[in-house]
Amino acid sequence: MSVAVQPEKILRELRELWDELGRAEETPGGVLRACAMTLLVAAEEQGEAEQVRKTLGVLMHDHPSRAIVLRSQEGSGVEARVFAECWMPFGRHQQICAEGIEITAGGAELSEVVHVLLPLMVPDLPVVLWCRGGRAFTDPAIEALFPLADKIIFDSAAASDAKAALQLLRSLRARGRRVADLTWTRLTGWREVLSQLFDDGVLDPDAVASVRIVHGGSGASTCALYLTKWIEQGLPGARVMVESASDEPGIRAITLLGGSAEVSIRRTGPSCVEARAGGRSYRTPLPPVTEEALMREELSILGPDSVFDRVLA
Amino acid sequence: MNVANPFADPLRFDRRVPECTVVIFGANGDLTKRKLMPALYRLAYERRLPASFAILGNSRTPLSDDAFRDKMHEAVKRFLEDSPFDEDIWTSFARNLYFTAGDLNDPELFSKIGAKLGELCRPNVLYYLSTQPSYYGTVVDGLGAAGIGESRPGGWRRIVIEKPFGHDLESARELDTRIHKVFPEEEVYRIDHYLGKEAVQNILAFRFGNGIFEPLWNRRYVNHVQITASESIGVEGRGAYYQEAGALRDMIQNHLLQVMATVAMEPSAVFEPDAVRDERAKLLRSIKIMKPEEVPLHAVAGQYRGFRQEPGVDAASQTDTFTAATFYVDNWRWAGVPFYVRSGKRMPKRTTDIAIQFNTAPHALFASQDGGPPTRPNLLILRIQPEEGISLRFMSKQPGSGMRLRPVSMDFNYGSSFGERSPSAYETLLVDAMVGDATLYTRQDMVEASWRAVQPVLDDWASRRFDFPNYEPGSWGPAEADAMLARNGHRWRNS
Ligand SMILES: NC(=O)c1ccc[n+]([C@@H]2O[C@H](COP(=O)([O-])OP(=O)(O)OC[C@H]3O[C@@H](n4cnc5c(N)ncnc54)[C@H](OP(=O)(O)O)[C@@H]3O)[C@@H](O)[C@H]2O)c1
Repeated sequence: MSVAVQPEKILRELRELWDELGRAEETPGGVLRACAMTLLVAAEEQGEAEQVRKTLGVLMHDHPSRAIVLRSQEGSGVEARVFAECWMPFGRHQQICAEGIEITAGGAELSEVVHVLLPLMVPDLPVVLWCRGGRAFTDPAIEALFPLADKIIFDSAAASDAKAALQLLRSLRARGRRVADLTWTRLTGWREVLSQLFDDGVLDPDAVASVRIVHGGSGASTCALYLTKWIEQGLPGARVMVESASDEPGIRAITLLGGSAEVSIRRTGPSCVEARAGGRSYRTPLPPVTEEALMREELSILGPDSVFDRVLA
Repeated sequence: MNVANPFADPLRFDRRVPECTVVIFGANGDLTKRKLMPALYRLAYERRLPASFAILGNSRTPLSDDAFRDKMHEAVKRFLEDSPFDEDIWTSFARNLYFTAGDLNDPELFSKIGAKLGELCRPNVLYYLSTQPSYYGTVVDGLGAAGIGESRPGGWRRIVIEKPFGHDLESARELDTRIHKVFPEEEVYRIDHYLGKEAVQNILAFRFGNGIFEPLWNRRYVNHVQITASESIGVEGRGAYYQEAGALRDMIQNHLLQVMATVAMEPSAVFEPDAVRDERAKLLRSIKIMKPEEVPLHAVAGQYRGFRQEPGVDAASQTDTFTAATFYVDNWRWAGVPFYVRSGKRMPKRTTDIAIQFNTAPHALFASQDGGPPTRPNLLILRIQPEEGISLRFMSKQPGSGMRLRPVSMDFNYGSSFGERSPSAYETLLVDAMVGDATLYTRQDMVEASWRAVQPVLDDWASRRFDFPNYEPGSWGPAEADAMLARNGHRWRNS
């Protein structure tokens, strides 16, 4: 179903889609429409439509929203189509659906799309902009979308210039915009395991003299930068060192030293880490985080996030 | 070590449990296998338990630590709901499972438990009573005599008690006196797993997080309230236990009166354990106590055909497998509004919901077209199970010419609008007990107030012989339950 890009037309198409869903034979209990926000997705150009749809399909269950996916495709004019993401919750008789709009535009036209977007936002609900991939850090057409959103989600791991990416996030934050970085979100599991050592009283924060972070992959990743800063803020008296190992990217280990005590958290497998303190050790799950899980976490925080703000500052 | 954690991030990290040992009495029983152990494992899986968390099980059956671990391994795999089972995590979790066999009647057992606790050396201890209620007093006495019931600086000792809390007002008080000889009230956690359900907690969010409903939540606008908890199954092999309890004791005195209190209580000034519980307790104390002559009008007992033939059940049993009762609340907000509460086994389906029926529009502007009443009352339904959610029924114009109205339903489906996995009631309640949050636990004054509310019915029924059975399996209970509402011009919503 394709329509020339006129907001009224798109909205009409959406209404028709709902009517159709309501009449469909496989939904005798009717469909339930759910919407908690507008989720604008600025996607990279090729080949990722499927992945975005898959992620949205999972996200909709927890954060039902009107999703508007913007894709730029050289050579194509501006085109839009509407779709619904439906699921039948286990053991229920009524289908739940959330709606989506996909807008494709050639690079030049993308900046004009902003005017089409305004009337398509669901009134009275928050707007979240998810800038998927690295283009958001450099493309002025995407920058033009920033003022539409209550929260903007980036992934600095995808940026070609990590420093510039952080600079952009900082300047948006300084202008009062809520920003998130999935590279920070990826650290939640590690941070939680580390934090728990202090909950359990395994370590006295004042006794920690140094911390060693080992991370895989090369270059100055924002992931290691974030973690370093967060630890420095928590343990102002400790020296934090970062070592890079050449295997898979991401954090591999964190070791804390203080007096005679050594505590370490190490990845022991793809979904597990092991914490060792004194003679004791235990394993705790830390499975690879999917894009869906990262987005789910970020979409559930629409208010201020003081910890990230401090680390970003 | 009591230093603030510099790495706390409450926005992103879940609440976590302090270092402690959970001692489960009745660790070989059904509740432990089905609910407690899967909930504890799930908490470990979600990284909410500290590494040094320990569980010490007790029951009569002699088991080694390893045999107990094997048993629990099997149980968790079997009863874990909607979550994955990970052998690695289990291995780590199971290392902290221990077992001490022994009979609760043997005072030596408690010294053995004390010695084991000393060996495990965790600062805090949570005792969980998952045995037959007749042992509650014995366990508490034993813990007291062995000197392992008392909190000390840097280490609390708490006790979690499963319902029933007594079998009437007097026995509830006796039990309480016995418990308080060892544990102060703030360390006693009486579990009512209904209060741990997300949907019940959502009633508070719905009432006090929205501005539009609370102004209508009173006698001026609400005509009556119906609370139904029905089960399609019978007693399923628990006939002997159930025969002693009955629907009024097993469901209404505790769960449904707690739900009623949640629906009808005043907002508390702050969302803190004692503030919320004070309001719940106040509401329960405001329930009008029936006079003996009112009981036959306000309470109906039922028993399904076939109950007396269930294993373990007396052939002349007088047990109520169904109870319906009308309660009134003596306060300004609710004076004169009936709260109809019913619960039964072998009913057409398993459902728990609360229906708030509002008054009809004061003036019928639209004539009836279909022979039905011209307008119908708005109905707000808070669904607790199986589909958690909220529906609002209102009138709408039927499409087409003329002014025909028909009721339509606006639905909010909690579980599916927010598809995240909700923690089970036991996960929520266990964490609450361990972090010391008693909001969702009942307090002795609440227990007593609800016994007081049902005591006249218990007394009346004890002196009577019912002509049971009086309802067919698969029906909505005896005709008298319909008649009870009909006297007020009301009808049960049977859907
Ligand atoms: N089952 C449920 O779903 C459920 C739901 C809500 C509340 N409850 C409440 O939870 C409690 C436990 O119920 P349940 O169904 O788990 O009971 P259960 O299956 O009968 O288990 C009773 C447990 O107590 C132990 N026990 C009995 N007598 C003992 C003694 N003299 N000394 C030491 N241990 C003894 C048994 O040990 P042995 O097996 O080794 O003999 C067994 O482990 C009851 O108060 C019940 O009302 C249960």
